[in-house]
Amino acid sequence: MARLRTAAFLAPAALLALLLLYAPLAFIVNMSFTVTNSFLSPGGPVYSLENYAAMVQRYLPNLFVTVQLAALAMLVDLVLGFPFAYILVRRIRYRDLVRALMVFPMFGALYVAFGMSFILLPGGPADPLIHAFGLRNTDLLFSLPAVVFAMSIFTFPFMVMSIGTALSNVDPTLEEAAACLGARPWQTFWRVVLPLTRAGVVAGSLMVFGWSIGAFAEPLLLGSLNEQRSLALTLYKRGVVENDYGLSSMMGVVLLSVAFVVTYFSLRYSRGALVD
Amino acid sequence: MSAASTPRRRPLLSSRRLATIASHAYIWLCLILFVLPFLALLSQSLGQRGGASGLGNYAAVFGSFGDNLFWSFKITGLTLLIDLAACLPAAYALVRYPVPGKRLLFSLLQLPLYVPGAVIGLSLLLTYTFVYKIDSMWGLVLAMAVGSFPLMMTPIVVAMKDLPVMFEEASECLGATKWQTYRRIVFPLIGPGVSAGLLLCFIIVFNEYLVTLFVHPPALETAPLKVFNLVRTNGLAPTTAALAVTMQLISFLAVIVFFRIFGTRHFKGTYIL
Amino acid sequence: MTTVHLSNVTKHYGSTVAVQDFNLEVADGEFVTLLGPSGCGKTTTLRMLAGLVEPTGGRILFDDQEVTWLAPRARNIGFVFQAPALFPHMSVADNIGFGLSVKGRDKAFIRQRVDEMLDLVDLEGYGKRLPAQLSGGQQQRVALARVLATDPRVLLFDEPLSALDKNLRDTLKYSILELQRKTRKTAIYVTHDQSEAFAISDRIVVMNAGRIEQIGTQTDIYLKPRTPFVAEFIGANNGLNGTVVAVDGSGDDAVVRVDTGGLLLRRRGRTRLTPGQAVLAYIRPEDLSVLEDGDGRVHLNTIEGTIDRLIFEGASAQLRVEVAGVEMRADISGGQRLALVQREGRVRLGFDDVTLIPSEAEAGTAVVTDGVPDEAGPAA
Ligand SMILES: Nc1ncnc2c1ncn2[C@@H]1O[C@H](COP(=O)(O)OP(=O)(O)OP(=O)(O)O)[C@@H](O)[C@H]1O
Ligand SMILES: [Mg+2]
Repeated sequence: MARLRTAAFLAPAALLALLLLYAPLAFIVNMSFTVTNSFLSPGGPVYSLENYAAMVQRYLPNLFVTVQLAALAMLVDLVLGFPFAYILVRRIRYRDLVRALMVFPMFGALYVAFGMSFILLPGGPADPLIHAFGLRNTDLLFSLPAVVFAMSIFTFPFMVMSIGTALSNVDPTLEEAAACLGARPWQTFWRVVLPLTRAGVVAGSLMVFGWSIGAFAEPLLLGSLNEQRSLALTLYKRGVVENDYGLSSMMGVVLLSVAFVVTYFSLRYSRGALVD
Repeated sequence: MSAASTPRRRPLLSSRRLATIASHAYIWLCLILFVLPFLALLSQSLGQRGGASGLGNYAAVFGSFGDNLFWSFKITGLTLLIDLAACLPAAYALVRYPVPGKRLLFSLLQLPLYVPGAVIGLSLLLTYTFVYKIDSMWGLVLAMAVGSFPLMMTPIVVAMKDLPVMFEEASECLGATKWQTYRRIVFPLIGPGVSAGLLLCFIIVFNEYLVTLFVHPPALETAPLKVFNLVRTNGLAPTTAALAVTMQLISFLAVIVFFRIFGTRHFKGTYIL
Repeated sequence: MTTVHLSNVTKHYGSTVAVQDFNLEVADGEFVTLLGPSGCGKTTTLRMLAGLVEPTGGRILFDDQEVTWLAPRARNIGFVFQAPALFPHMSVADNIGFGLSVKGRDKAFIRQRVDEMLDLVDLEGYGKRLPAQLSGGQQQRVALARVLATDPRVLLFDEPLSALDKNLRDTLKYSILELQRKTRKTAIYVTHDQSEAFAISDRIVVMNAGRIEQIGTQTDIYLKPRTPFVAEFIGANNGLNGTVVAVDGSGDDAVVRVDTGGLLLRRRGRTRLTPGQAVLAYIRPEDLSVLEDGDGRVHLNTIEGTIDRLIFEGASAQLRVEVAGVEMRADISGGQRLALVQREGRVRLGFDDVTLIPSEAEAGTAVVTDGVPDEAGPAA
């Protein structure tokens, strides 16, 4: 009786996840082993490892770009995000205002990328700055830094949230104690604050990395041909534009595997256990 | 005692004050960066092109974009209902009932958050086409629901955990049925958590373009998808910027209203600090 | 008009035994307290009575109705928790009316009943407030009113005062008792505070490690403890390990030799002890008096020792005396406590009452003794 009730309560969410996430994922895993769109052919699907061979032979650079972009975005977030989170948690009174403004990037990578391209456009507001560094607009508009920058703005709140949560769980008196014991600020940071927040930092970084793996609008709108090779974009072109279901499913599986591995470690590191 | 080593007056700019000023400056620099893309869109949307005045760009939002906005609201509304129906009972069971493998189950239910949008899109596109044979609006709604329900689940789970069982026990001892307890005690008390979930899902689903790009039925174009398509085909037009600005303003308004009513603490465990 | 009957009620959590073979009969209108140290299973027992926990075994009856497997709402009980557990989103009046409103009673009736209840707990005019606008004591009173509004068959209290400060505890415990008397409800009350239990109970159930140690009135459990646990848990006691060396022919008086130091203790009254049996001898500190030279009083036992220290506690003083290798505590009150402040060296102590409990006595198996024999007056 009690079991029945529990099952009934969990059923809607479980069914939703099962039918619309796990089953479809299983479906593309299966699909990734079929040749192009032989799935549709009357003779039935032809199974082979061809797609994965193509991955190794032709699409490794795509995987590389994808990982490179995600890793760079993660680094930018980490370097900019730690001090931000620290100041936010320890020094700032107008936290609600910051929180409210911080949601802007969360509205979507699309708007971020769209807005960025306006900024970098010749004659745009960033012109003086760009020229001051001796660059031309075209150096930035369709370039790796622009993509990375947009990606890191999009994921920045997640990084700050993760580090901030970890920081707010660290008793500030520990830092004061370290200071009273004669530690210099950087020693306090390096030997007290960082070790105590490592879990949050690692979890946040991995999470940002995992999300950036699937970046779509940023490379499309801001990237050069090189950045546009990222897997999510290629998957769309091969699958939806060219109808090569086998190949695009394979890319989906690769992306999925990277994301899952990263997420697994991220959740293991974070305080993850929301239910116990 | 040399006078040089012991300053008699407080220095005008001590290192501490410098650090404070630098801290605030840094926060504001980052905040400006966050809002910069939005501001750029805003200024573009008010800009002129081909004689049309600035605000004229917004006329289109309520004209030709009206349809897209309507679809966005409709899809988002339906998605939120499905999310609620899935999350409320599940969160309750996960917190209150002994579920074997609870942590694993919770992780499995959270996983959609971490699957790249393009992969969800592709897998749903293929299953909808070849297995489920769905090509109606509901396909899109379900796709949105599966991608967003974990966002709804987290704040509800947190709110449930923060609610002592005592209230439910007291209610039952006073003679209330399970349903009465749920409706009159549990639901009102986890209300803010539920609202936090609704807000999160709203801003994510309302602005979703990527999964939509894969699974939208041919005749249906939501507002964010419209923005996406226009940017690709039409370049950086002020009217497109106006639509993007409108979308973000609506989302921001929702956030502000929520913060005003409930405060920010109900986002514990979610991705708003 | 409800009696409560628990028979062999047992609750196991995996391998943890929370409650084992609990047997108790509570008469109609009686106030019974479960008293015991933390973790002894009081709450578990109470929650089984409420239906919030299902027993592993045994039966629970209200009057003749078996309620063992009934849901809480079908039992018509009133449960007062440690925290007031007032619904924070409802006004005081709505809280009190909740139990009636979920049963579908009409509004006018509820309003009238709520007013009655507010009156009963001296909170007239507080109906519109939210729980957060009340003090802790007021909240607990509203919780009481909320429970009484439904006219429950049995009142169950789980340490309802433990979250309050001492002064409030003292006044509120009498309010609870008064309300129970006024409404003539059968009440079962859980606490780990002895003075609370002594102040309000008709009978006390002393529990330890999931089992009942002793059931009795205040004087029963204080003066006639049946197990070493009760002797040591209730009040202060001097406990000495000893061996029975002699029992007089009719089985009346006994002499016990304390294992350390060989002190001999005499005890009057019927026992069922036999010579050679290992016993625990208990002497209450307040039963020990200091004998001055030329003191006319005659005690059954007189012992001599060295003053270790005196702890002056105001109304009384604790004298620690080392007697033949064991430390004994004597509680001295009255003028004598002042005289002792400067005293050092040897002192003589006299006492009549000794409680003897066979060492192997366990919960429920105590053989012993009538504790303090009435006829054991001071005699030669
Ligand atoms: N839900 C549970 N799961 C496992 N063990 C439990 C549970 N509830 C109680 N126990 C165990 O049962 C035993 C009795 O617990 P109970 O809460 O009845 O004690 P108590 O006498 O009320 O103590 P206290 O005075 O601290 O409230 C304890 O050892 C406790 O650890
Ligand atoms: Mg307890």
